[in-house]
Amino acid sequence: MKKYLTIFVLLSCIGAVGCTVKAVGDPNRPITINAHVTLDIKGLQNTATNIEDYVRGDAPKEKILDNKGDSK
Amino acid sequence: MKKLFFFPILLGTLLNVSPVLAQSQYNIKEMTPEVQQALEGRKGRFDELSDLKEQGIVGENNRGYVELMTDNAAAEKLVDQENHDRKTIYATIAKQNGIEDEIETIEKVFAQVQRDKAGDGEMIQSEDGMWSKK
Repeated sequence: MKKYLTIFVLLSCIGAVGCTVKAVGDPNRPITINAHVTLDIKGLQNTATNIEDYVRGDAPKEKILDNKGDSK
Repeated sequence: MKKLFFFPILLGTLLNVSPVLAQSQYNIKEMTPEVQQALEGRKGRFDELSDLKEQGIVGENNRGYVELMTDNAAAEKLVDQENHDRKTIYATIAKQNGIEDEIETIEKVFAQVQRDKAGDGEMIQSEDGMWSKK
């Protein structure tokens, strides 16, 4: 049982550390982090297709909204 | 017993990862008046624009915009309005999804979708810049 508890605590720590970025340094010299964002082209293609389908009248507006119920 | 113990861990891990997966959706997060107007504007002129495409007066370029193939004052106004609305939609997707630096990629992806959806005989510009009839 103790072994499982250790694994659980370890996994929780990994999860917490993996989601947190801590910057330590001189507050007068801000740290610049150059992040490289990888785009999901397939996701963009889906978005583009949905929008073009809507423009053509082939799809409802709900399909292009992130919140499917937020159709105004 | 083991399953009962590991289920919460698995669930926790999935919940931790799900926001990351959700970021690959680039939908319109908020229907602002500007993007609403742009979408309705495009919808409203779709038939007229399709006619111009069929006649070869307007083509789809490789940057996600329509382009005049021949001089035509009436079509020019329509093309300008269409491109203005498309720009608004592309900019909204970029802004609302935090990918403002990727506007060119967004335009190119839309261009690809336009090429795929173009009807036979319509003018399209390939990625290398060559114009051809589909």
